[in-house]
Amino acid sequence: MATGPALVNEQLSGTLQQPITALAWSADGEWLALASGGGELLLLDFRAGCEELLRGDRDQSLDVIGFSGDGQFLMAAGQAGELLLWELGGSGVRPMAFEPMPLGAGWLDAAAWQPGGLLLAVAAGRQVRLWDGASRQWSLQVLDLPGSVQALAWSADGATLAASCNGELALWQPTTNPTVPPLRHATASAGLALAFSAVGKLLAAGQLDRSLLLWPDLGRGTPWQFSGFPAKVRQLAWSDRMGSLAPSLAVASAETLVLWSQHDTGSRGWRPEPLIWHGSRVNALAFAPGHTLLASASSDGTVALWDGSGELLQPLEGDGQGFNALSWRPDGQHLVVGGDQGRWWLWPVAVPSRDTQPRTGGRGFG
Amino acid sequence: MAFSSAVPAADRLPVTVLTGYLGAGKTTLLNRILTHEHGLKVAVIVNEFGEIGIDNQLVVDADEEIFEMNNGCICCTVRGDLIRIIGNLMKRRDRFDHLVIETTGLADPAPVIQTFFVDEDLRDELRLDAVVTLVDLKHVAQHWEAEEVQEQLAFADVLLLNKADLVDEAERAAIERRVRAINPVARLLTSTNAEVPMQQILGVEAFELERALSLDPGFLAEEHHHEHDDAVGSLALVEERPMDLDRLGSWLSGLVAERGPDLFRMKGIIQLAGEDSRYVFQSVHMLLDGDFDRPWKAGERRRTEFVIIGRDLDAPALRAGFAACVA
Repeated sequence: MATGPALVNEQLSGTLQQPITALAWSADGEWLALASGGGELLLLDFRAGCEELLRGDRDQSLDVIGFSGDGQFLMAAGQAGELLLWELGGSGVRPMAFEPMPLGAGWLDAAAWQPGGLLLAVAAGRQVRLWDGASRQWSLQVLDLPGSVQALAWSADGATLAASCNGELALWQPTTNPTVPPLRHATASAGLALAFSAVGKLLAAGQLDRSLLLWPDLGRGTPWQFSGFPAKVRQLAWSDRMGSLAPSLAVASAETLVLWSQHDTGSRGWRPEPLIWHGSRVNALAFAPGHTLLASASSDGTVALWDGSGELLQPLEGDGQGFNALSWRPDGQHLVVGGDQGRWWLWPVAVPSRDTQPRTGGRGFG
Repeated sequence: MAFSSAVPAADRLPVTVLTGYLGAGKTTLLNRILTHEHGLKVAVIVNEFGEIGIDNQLVVDADEEIFEMNNGCICCTVRGDLIRIIGNLMKRRDRFDHLVIETTGLADPAPVIQTFFVDEDLRDELRLDAVVTLVDLKHVAQHWEAEEVQEQLAFADVLLLNKADLVDEAERAAIERRVRAINPVARLLTSTNAEVPMQQILGVEAFELERALSLDPGFLAEEHHHEHDDAVGSLALVEERPMDLDRLGSWLSGLVAERGPDLFRMKGIIQLAGEDSRYVFQSVHMLLDGDFDRPWKAGERRRTEFVIIGRDLDAPALRAGFAACVA
């Protein structure tokens, strides 16, 4: 276990009984939660240098976990169809579990905390429900969709919530415009992944019909549509660094990674750069916070680190098991990855320095 | 569209699809599958949670949701809920050996079957073992006109005639004849309380091409005639002369393009001109799959046997089209 405020500069690792399904950091990077296909939930408290298994293996998967933005709550949900919540009393204090809340909507696999707020959006069948951490109750506001909700995402300012199902993408502003009906876009198939950019007000939707939809202006107006992916588009990640017109978007479809960047504002203004390296399905990807460094995790047992132009910097391996999940510590210096046999690794990453300097128009070197 | 996967069958998880009209005994059979000592760890996807009387972590509830993937093309109609739920389940595939999917009594089985061939993840991780249809011997005649009943019979690889204790032999034989008229290729079993040897239900490998055709010999011999005017029926075609693969291929492609929605299942063992091996073929609506199989055995009767199960089959036109494929 790490001692003191900084992590030791060696890799940490550990094992759960079943495949790692989800990983989440608290915003301050002092808490890490890991969930498994058996329903295990492990909480690491870096400040105290201790860990606690909040739940053991009960043979029912947990698939989505997350800390509220203020670090007060940890949520988890999965196969049992219940929302699980803990209140974190602070470093070294045992988290207090709420009574499990059954939602009666089958397997839960999409939920997200509002950035800068205390609302937790949970996809429950054909509804999005909101649990309010301020009142500690379910909000009476519900977003109904015509099909089962496949994915959820909040805009970076916490004002807009996007939810997708087969044939529709809905945009809702439950706190800022609660009386305005949601904006609903018809889509040709189901959105499997949604992500708002932290800068540039873009919304990306990875679709079941092997296409990518990209909306400007937080999902308003007409989207760019890109088709021809080799398989369903299952993973999306935005860089939080602004490019010339927009931040970079990384997209995973089967074993293919594509890095998209915007070059002009026209209908063909986005250009794809395929990153061909992984030998099987890419299950997770994320840009390092504050950098254009991209990490991708694959069933082939590798994690790849790419620079902002799509050049492979370094491949990483665990012990051969495929990777299901990865997550950057908010400091951008540590990467946690989870394997399909239950092992996890925490790797310190020395980010290339030119990538960490704020970009102010041109490059600093002549 | 072919429906084979690049991943070897042995590396994919077998899936049994369980269909049957309301009250046919699906829940009884599921409980039997979950409690029976057959040495397999079975995960079950059910539609109505709570009906299963067994507390089992591998029973998962699904809310049937049809996705039309491609402008309503019938072969691209799939079960979106299964893509999501099975995707979640497959992260834990070392926890079970076999997957059983129960459909609602009123479901058309085709989207379930097509899900396993159209979705790229499921195609590479699963293999369809068999469609098992339960038939309520006592009550099926009352529901015979229901489209779902006829579709469920048509798609079956295994037909389980259940509730045999409630009918006499003459009634059972009459139902069997009507069922056989719709589906002459399925394995036929009779049971009371869905009591049936598990190896007849699980591990059937009906979608593996070499097992594709197990015709009732009598069916071919008597040159089948419809004894009922059901909309759904079958046609068996037999040809002693060798066939031409190119002609057969273009005939079948044209046929499914034109009549795909009405063609539920086709299965065949083909004798090709100039080939020493059997060519085996099967289809589900517009999904076609064919490949060379083992060499013909010495003394084996070399001939083509081909069965079409569908709605409103135009027998003279199908016979003529088939005959034109002779080399």
